[in-house]
Amino acid sequence: MSDATRRAILARLAQSDARVTELASAFPISLNSTSKHIRILERAGLVTRSVQGREHVLSLNAGPMADAAEWMEYYRRFWEDRLAALEDFVIKKRNKDKRRSKQ
Amino acid sequence: MTQTQASSTSQAAAAPSAVAKTGKIVLKRTIAATVEELFDAWLDPESLAQWMHPGSTVPSSARVDARVGGTFEVLMPREGGPLRHHGEYRVIERNKKLVFTWLSHATHEKETLVTVEFHALDAGTQIVLTHEQLPDHETAMGHNKGWTAALNLLEEFLER
Repeated sequence: MSDATRRAILARLAQSDARVTELASAFPISLNSTSKHIRILERAGLVTRSVQGREHVLSLNAGPMADAAEWMEYYRRFWEDRLAALEDFVIKKRNKDKRRSKQ
Repeated sequence: MTQTQASSTSQAAAAPSAVAKTGKIVLKRTIAATVEELFDAWLDPESLAQWMHPGSTVPSSARVDARVGGTFEVLMPREGGPLRHHGEYRVIERNKKLVFTWLSHATHEKETLVTVEFHALDAGTQIVLTHEQLPDHETAMGHNKGWTAALNLLEEFLER
């Protein structure tokens, strides 16, 4: 999942700065798709890039994340997503049960 | 097809500023399914594992002791190790109401309380979910663990 990858990139950068190549090798995806995720994070202002010699080094920019970190908002979205998943689950399960009973 | 026919609404019951003070959120969602289908999905561990996960394709693993005083545990898979959510059932009224405590990294392993009510409607079932005793923003961010939750928020933040 792409979101999981971006979150993992941020989690990694929360520990220390990292080179782009280093990040790409840490995830089971191509350098190309790693770069795409990084660009999204850069556009969101969450990650900044500096060029050191031939290497591009990424660091975390925590400011926007602190703004986003409204606690109640987190749980509101958490449960909204869970209830949406619950809905998907019961409807898929019912369709599956129907198919099974027809066989 | 069925999915697109399913009607659903979801909303926070109060303005965010008011919510932050009380440490309580209320969500309502109407789902085109029976009360039984929905109620059971909370207490059957196999079902719970399939929908109680953070959008990953990998299911969570869940353990449920469905009786008052019994405990549950959901391990949500995530890179860097699973997220553990757990608690204890306080009220189990079949097809009506579920009350359980909820602890996780995001609550700093402090006890919070979740109430899920099921109301049968013509169009399906309305679920009213109340999560209370949440740590307020200040308390939450005063801990280092607030960082983990901030990472969790990111997905939503990016999608806005």
